[in-house]
Amino acid sequence: MGQRITVDPVTRIEGHLKIEVEIENGVVKDAWSSGTMARGFEALLTGKDPRDASYVTSRFCGVCFSVHQMASAACLDDAFGAQVPDGGRILRNLLMGSEYLYDHIIHFYHLTALDYLDIMAVAGYNGNDAGLNAVKDKVVSLVKRGDTYPLTPRYEPDEFSVADPEIVTMAVSHYLEALKIQVTAKNMGAVLGGGRVPHYQGIVVGGVTQIPSPEEIGRFKSMLAEVTAFIKNVYMKDVLLLGGPGGPLFPLAQLGVGGGHLNYLSYGGFPEEASGKEMFFKAGVVRNLHLDNVQSFDPDKVTESVKYAWYREQEPVHPYDGEQIFDRDKADAYSFVKAPRYDGMAFEVGPLARMLIEKNPTLLSLVQAGAKPGAVARHAARMIETVALADQMQVWLGQLIEAQGKPGFRIHDTDHWEVPDTAEGAGFYEAPRGALGHWMKIKDKKIANYQAVVPSTWNASPRDEKGVRGQYEESLIGAPVPDPENPINIVRVIRSFDPCLACAVHIIDPKTNQIRKFRIG
Amino acid sequence: MSSFRNISRRDFLKFCAGTASILGLSEAAVPRIAKALEGAAKKPPVIWLEGQDCAGCSISFINSSNPGTAELVLDTISLRYHESLMAASGHVSEKAIQDTIKNESGGYVLLVEGSIPTEDPRFCQIAGRNFVDIVAEAAAGAAAVIAIGSCATYGGIPGDCPTPGRGMGVGDAMDKGLVPKKALINCPTCPVHPERLIGTIVYYLLYGKPPALDKVGRPVVFYDKLIHDNCERRGHFDNGEFLTDWNSFEKRNWCMYLKGCKGPFTHSDCPKRRWSDGLNWCIGCSSVCQGCAEPDFYAGMSPLYERSGKNLRGVSVEKIGAYATGAVAVGLAGHFIGQAMTGRLGKGGPPEEGGGN
Repeated sequence: MGQRITVDPVTRIEGHLKIEVEIENGVVKDAWSSGTMARGFEALLTGKDPRDASYVTSRFCGVCFSVHQMASAACLDDAFGAQVPDGGRILRNLLMGSEYLYDHIIHFYHLTALDYLDIMAVAGYNGNDAGLNAVKDKVVSLVKRGDTYPLTPRYEPDEFSVADPEIVTMAVSHYLEALKIQVTAKNMGAVLGGGRVPHYQGIVVGGVTQIPSPEEIGRFKSMLAEVTAFIKNVYMKDVLLLGGPGGPLFPLAQLGVGGGHLNYLSYGGFPEEASGKEMFFKAGVVRNLHLDNVQSFDPDKVTESVKYAWYREQEPVHPYDGEQIFDRDKADAYSFVKAPRYDGMAFEVGPLARMLIEKNPTLLSLVQAGAKPGAVARHAARMIETVALADQMQVWLGQLIEAQGKPGFRIHDTDHWEVPDTAEGAGFYEAPRGALGHWMKIKDKKIANYQAVVPSTWNASPRDEKGVRGQYEESLIGAPVPDPENPINIVRVIRSFDPCLACAVHIIDPKTNQIRKFRIG
Repeated sequence: MSSFRNISRRDFLKFCAGTASILGLSEAAVPRIAKALEGAAKKPPVIWLEGQDCAGCSISFINSSNPGTAELVLDTISLRYHESLMAASGHVSEKAIQDTIKNESGGYVLLVEGSIPTEDPRFCQIAGRNFVDIVAEAAAGAAAVIAIGSCATYGGIPGDCPTPGRGMGVGDAMDKGLVPKKALINCPTCPVHPERLIGTIVYYLLYGKPPALDKVGRPVVFYDKLIHDNCERRGHFDNGEFLTDWNSFEKRNWCMYLKGCKGPFTHSDCPKRRWSDGLNWCIGCSSVCQGCAEPDFYAGMSPLYERSGKNLRGVSVEKIGAYATGAVAVGLAGHFIGQAMTGRLGKGGPPEEGGGN
C-alpha cells in the first residue's frame, strides 16, 4: 500500500479541482480526479427563450467564454434552420481565433510557466541587458521587502526545473510582456464584434451583430500583427528553447510524463466554407497513438458513465438518452464530473489531440526526436496550433476585406431570427481545451432541454463503470513524485491539459425527473 | 525607497493617474495617491476567494492596461490567495490563506468572486471545506469585503439555477447570518469591469472606508446613471431610429431597443467607460445591454433579445415604447424610470425578490 496524498485545490486553472494520488517507490501508482463545484446552468435554461442560450452559456466559463457562445449559436443555427452568411462565418472564425491566441498565451505564461522555472534564480543574473536587469531588480526588491506573494509560496523547484539565471530572467520578462499581449489578443475580439471581453456579446443565432467599419478592421489588423509578432518571436521560441531537443525540459518530454491513454478525439473547428464540411481544425479519432489510422468521428458512439459521479446510479447510455439526477450522498462517488467514453474508451481532447490527428509535421518532428506524448508535448502542440491560427487569421481577414468590398455583403441570417415552435439542434466546435458539443430541444418556443459535453468533462472524468480511469487520472500514472510534500509533477501534468472545471459540470433539474432524449448530428 | 520603485516609477505613477481618472479625481490627486500607496509600511494584504464562479471576473481583472494589473498585484497589494493566479497549490496555498487570516486579522481586504451555495453547501468545496465556511472564516477577520461580479453580489446566474447548488451573493449570506457582517461593497456586472474593481480597491486603501454606496451597495461613482440616458445611440432612440437588420451598414449605429436592450433599466457608467480599454462595449457591437449591473440579472432580464413587453421594474415598457415613436420628449423617460427604480428598491439593501425566481 502506497502513500496517499492530496492536492486540493489545484490552482492556476479554471474552476475547482482536487487530485488524489497513491505513491509507491517515488512514482504515482493510482490517481483520482474530482471536480468539486457545480452550478446547474442547463436546468436554469429550461423554459427560457432559446436565443438567451448563447449569452448564458458563455458564462459556463470566463476563460473560454467565446467558444461556448459559438457552440451554442451553432446549436441554435441548427435548430432555427439559419444559414450563416459567409461574412458571419468569417467574422466568427476571427472572433474565435482571438480567443485562442489570448487563451494559449495566458495558459503558457501565467498558468503553467511557474511550474518549470525557479523564479528566484533571477537573482543570479549577471548580464548587461537593461530590460532583464530591470526584471531582476523587480524580483529582488520584492524579496527584500519580504513579500513575494503571489509568486511564492510554491512547490519547490526540482531536478526538472530551469534554474539558469539568464533563461529564467528572460522567461520572467516574457511573463510580464505576455500579461500585456494577452490584453491585446483578447481585445482584438472585442473590437471586431465581440463587444467586450471576457464574455463576448456579438455571436448570436444566424451570425454576428457587428458589421465592421474600415477603421475597426484596420485596428484589428494592427493588433493581430502585434500579437502574431509576439507569438512567433517570443512564445514559439520559448517553447522550443525550453521543451525542444536540447532544451532543459526535453528530458521530461522524453520520459513521456503525463501521457495517459493515448487515445485522441477532435470534433473539428473553424469552418472554411458554408456547409462546415471543410474545417481548419480537422475532426477525427486516433486510438492508442495509431496515427496511420485516423478514423472519422461518429457521435453515436459517445456514452456517459455516472458510476463514480454524484448522480443517481444508471447504466452508461448515450449522454442524451439518460436521466440526469444528481445524488450528492452516493457511496463511492467522488466528482461532479461525469465520465464520457467513446466506443467504450477514455479519450484525450485538446491541442495535442488536434495536432496528432492532423499529423502536424512540426509536432511529429519533435516525436521523431524522442519526445513522447505527455505534459511537454501538450505545451508544444498548443504553441504549434497558435502559430498556425495566427497565420490563418491573416487569410480570413483578407477574405473578410474582399467579401465586404462586394455588394450584398451580409453577416446575419435575419430571416431565421424568430424562434421556431418546435425544433432541436446540435452544435459542435473545438474549444482551446478540446472537443465541445451543445444540444438543445425547443418546445412551444421555449428551451425544453439543454445539454453540453465539454472538453474538461472528457479529460477530467472520474473512473467509468468498468473502473477505467479518466485521462487526467491515467496520465498521472508513473509520474515521479520523490517528495510527497512537493508533488510538483502532479500539477505539471494536470495543468498541461489547461483544466477548465466550471464548465465540465452539468446538472439537470432534480425536480422534473425527466427522461431526456436527443438525436445527435 | 527600493531600486524597484525607481525603475518602475513611471509605471507606478501611470497606475496612480489611471486610478485617479477612474475615481473622477483630478490630476492634482495623483501625488497624494502615490504617496499614500508608497508610504504604507507594507503592502496591504488581500485575499481573493472564488466560489461558484467561471473565473470571468479574474480574467476581466487582468484585462486592464491603465491602471495596469501587474502594478496592482506586484507593487500595490499583497495578494495572499487567488486560486487562478497564485503559484502555490494544495497544502501550500491553504497555509498561505490560514497564515493571513491568523496573522493579519482585521487588516486584510476580502474579495469574493462567484456565488455561495447554501441550500446544499457541498456544491462548492475547496480543500475539503464548504465554500460558505471559507467565506465566513475569511470575512470574520476582514477589514472590508468587496463582492465582485453578478454572482458574488446578487447571486447572478447560479442564483437562478433550480438545483440545491443554487448560490447566493455575499450580502444575502450576511443577512442570513451565514457570513459575519462586515463593510460590504458590491461591484456587479458580468464580469466585473476591471477599472471599477481596481478603483474600488484603491479607494478603500486610500481612505480606509468604502466609497459612497447606493441602496444595493454599489459605489455611486460607477453606478448612479441609467445606461439609456448616456448611451451614444440615444439620439437615434429620440428620433425613433431602431436597428432591426444587422446587415445594414447604414443603420449599424441605430438604437437597440427593439432587439431587447435593457439599457433603460440598468444603472452603470458603461456608455462612458466602455469595455476592453474603451475599445468597444455591449451596445457598441450592436448587441444589447442585458442588465447585468442590476440585482435581478439574469432571470429578471430574460428574454434578453425581446423588446420587454411586460412591466420591468414596475415601469410600463409600453410607455417607453410610446417614447420610442419619438412622439414625446424622451429625457423624461429615463428620469421616470430612475425614480421608479429608487422607489421600488426602498431602503435596507438588495431587494428580496432579486433574481426573479
